Amino acid sequence: MRTPALELMDVRAGYGGIEVLHGVDLVVPDGSLVALLGPNGAGKTTTLQVVDGRLLPSAGCVHIGGRHVNGTPAQRLARAGVCSIPEGRGVFPNLSVDENLLMVTQLHDDLAPSEVRERAFARFPNLANRRRLLAGSLSGGEQQMLAMARAIVTDPALLLIDEPSMGLAPVVVDAIYDVLKHLTAEGMTVLLVEQFANKAMSIADYAAVMINGRISVFCEPADLENVVGAYLGVSA
Amino acid sequence: MGEFIGLSIAGLSLGAIYAIAASGLVVTYTTSGVFNFAHGAVGMLMAFLYWQLRVQDHWSAPAALVLTLLVAAPALGLVLERGLISRLNVNDTGTMLIVTVAVMVALMGIAYVIWPPSIGRLLPMFFGPNGHVSVDGELVSYEELISIGLAIATALGLRLFFHNTRTGVAMRGVVDDRQLMAMNGRSPQVLNALSWMIGAGFGALAGILTASTYSLDVINLTLLILNAFAAAMLGRLRNLPLTFVGAVVLGLADAYVTGYVRLTGWLVELVPVLPTLFLFIVLLALPAVRLRAGRAAVSKAIHVPSAGASLRNGVVLVVVAALIAPFMHGIALGNVNEGAALGIGALSIVLLSGYGGQLSFAQYAFFGFGAWLFRVLGHGGNPWALLVAAGAGALIGALMALPALRLRGLELALSTLAFGTLAWYMFLSQPQIIGGGDVTIPRLHLPGLSLQNDRVNLVFLAVVFALLSAGVLAIRRSRFGRILVATRDSDTACATLGLNLRLTKVALFALASAIATFGGAIYGSTQMIVTNTDFEYVSSLFIVLIVYVWGISTPGGALAGGMSLALAPLVEVHIPVRFQALTYFMTGLGALTILATPEGIVPLVSERLRRLNPLIGLRSRHTRDMSVGNEQLLARVEVSRATPADA
Repeated sequence: MRTPALELMDVRAGYGGIEVLHGVDLVVPDGSLVALLGPNGAGKTTTLQVVDGRLLPSAGCVHIGGRHVNGTPAQRLARAGVCSIPEGRGVFPNLSVDENLLMVTQLHDDLAPSEVRERAFARFPNLANRRRLLAGSLSGGEQQMLAMARAIVTDPALLLIDEPSMGLAPVVVDAIYDVLKHLTAEGMTVLLVEQFANKAMSIADYAAVMINGRISVFCEPADLENVVGAYLGVSA
Repeated sequence: MGEFIGLSIAGLSLGAIYAIAASGLVVTYTTSGVFNFAHGAVGMLMAFLYWQLRVQDHWSAPAALVLTLLVAAPALGLVLERGLISRLNVNDTGTMLIVTVAVMVALMGIAYVIWPPSIGRLLPMFFGPNGHVSVDGELVSYEELISIGLAIATALGLRLFFHNTRTGVAMRGVVDDRQLMAMNGRSPQVLNALSWMIGAGFGALAGILTASTYSLDVINLTLLILNAFAAAMLGRLRNLPLTFVGAVVLGLADAYVTGYVRLTGWLVELVPVLPTLFLFIVLLALPAVRLRAGRAAVSKAIHVPSAGASLRNGVVLVVVAALIAPFMHGIALGNVNEGAALGIGALSIVLLSGYGGQLSFAQYAFFGFGAWLFRVLGHGGNPWALLVAAGAGALIGALMALPALRLRGLELALSTLAFGTLAWYMFLSQPQIIGGGDVTIPRLHLPGLSLQNDRVNLVFLAVVFALLSAGVLAIRRSRFGRILVATRDSDTACATLGLNLRLTKVALFALASAIATFGGAIYGSTQMIVTNTDFEYVSSLFIVLIVYVWGISTPGGALAGGMSLALAPLVEVHIPVRFQALTYFMTGLGALTILATPEGIVPLVSERLRRLNPLIGLRSRHTRDMSVGNEQLLARVEVSRATPADA
């Protein structure tokens, strides 16, 4: 069996003495998309923060590609190929679209800015017309696309994405999920956090359900309905 | 025509220096979010270092420039950022500002110790005394042309850097979202440190240009910060092109007013306050800051004594004063009197900054105003003059607060410093007021008390301090006090509760200014002979700094602060002349205790004492029980949150 892209073992973490994760065990197999589902406050975002280096776990192990990464700062993980797109548009509102794309190249000196733009605009043509505008003036959907451009351009080893559909129109959500589907088809490993299970289940290889700081269910999407369908309100 | 060109070039070159200094300030502020009050002091220290290398050690100009601008200045910026600034909470604007003020004082101390001011120092012009060209009959020095050229180069260079390089764009981006920058693979810490290194470099360049064009002087170079700030404020400390416009306007205004306007009477000192006037106009013209939901800086709760406890403390203070007064004499007695008077005035800082969370750097303007009022109104030491002084102070304080209401935090604090500067030059220093050398002020006269005797006066000051601090504590415990603390923590939340923020802030400034002016009148009556130099605007920085170190939220901090200021000269005479400036240095270093105890030394000590006291020890054990209760409560919350999973 290949080394999983991401493995959490009994991870505990919290904010200022209040523990949020009470021992999370989770495996994201290489090349798969795992959807992390669960109600508000379950610890989904905290789990992502522990993985991408924003939050130091108080106990347990975080392994990325088989390597122990607890306590590695976010910028080093980013350079090592972990791409994390935070909740609520991961863009710099006071930089222009072009400049936001330039930030992507902080990771890779060999990536020419023109190439980055080319690849991003090929995927999201409407961004090309907004190149000189400040990212903060874009619509929510355009901002999410701009944030996703980082994942498209840098070809990360592990993509972490937090609630990409939050507050967006259904048609935009479809476009975003198309991109995710395409990326996983190319073999990218993705850990996707969602509150709305339906959309995520359509592209996920596995579903992990988080409740009260623990993973309570890990299964294939088809089985999810049987296991916790009633609880999460999933209906086929 | 020739004169006009000459003046224009002189003005542009001055504006160029302001522009270079201001760009350093803006670069540091936009990236790291910290307003570096020590920016001018960094430039000052580097100008002295340049003098040392160039004149004392006979280095060539290019070698000395490379070492100061490219090595020493960035290294100093790096040390400041890594050693101090990065350890502070960015959301706590007040502490941040105070710490950079402390750095400023410490750097001034270093400069005074290494380069004693008793010796005059001249920096040679880059191309000697004959290095000038003639434009239409006016001599224009190479120095001026170099400054203008460097400012243009700075403008173009920064524009290219911030828009066309990855590092530059990242430095703009890191302000938006530090964590996102880290997730993009750039360390926000490194970007912060870089911004401080670049800022220090520009500060040094401006310092050297000022020193070689004008003069090499610790105070003048350190206060270059005020002019740079005025220029940067046009772009709200963020916009570089507008900062350059502001700098050029300031420089030209300085040159044309000097060259064309014959200043007489009250306006003699107009030139040095031009930047301040400019600042006021800008502040009034800028749109008001909107309320923002921000994260309040969490500070340790300071124990507020009950009415009984504050009276008890007051009685202890008076008894102590009465016991030591008979044994004091001479200079020491005078200085302790002065310290007590300053402590009374410093109570205004406790109210305004400690409880209200507003920093004001205009305290000495009110002290001076109070002293002058008592001189004018207090014939024969008439005590009613004290009350009139307090009332007038309240009025002026409210007037000062009105434009300031539009501003918040940093901008507000700096505009009060501008107010203080203006008051010192345009009012206190006027010969009709107290600017014409020593002026005498009557000692307060109360029937039945011989206050003329300094020992009696000391006990009287202790009584005044005790009563006033009991009053300040009563304000803190009142409804108004709770509103003050709530406004300090989140004015947005207060606005949504329907509280009138404007009224609260005006009342706060009026009350604090009344106390400061009253304290100033008492100070004047205690000193009996004062000059305008007793109330210099820079002193306002010192007193706020010192009170902050001792504890800005307790009356004890105010008294300790006043005493430290007044008693420092007693200690200084026992230090070798060469090291007398060490007190500056020690002040700065002492202020670094803020890093360890942001709430101040007095609360820390009294907390320790409370723990030692067996009677109150019972109460603290009670508090501990409470905290256990909280933990149980939390556990219960955890359990109830866990229930759905079990179900």
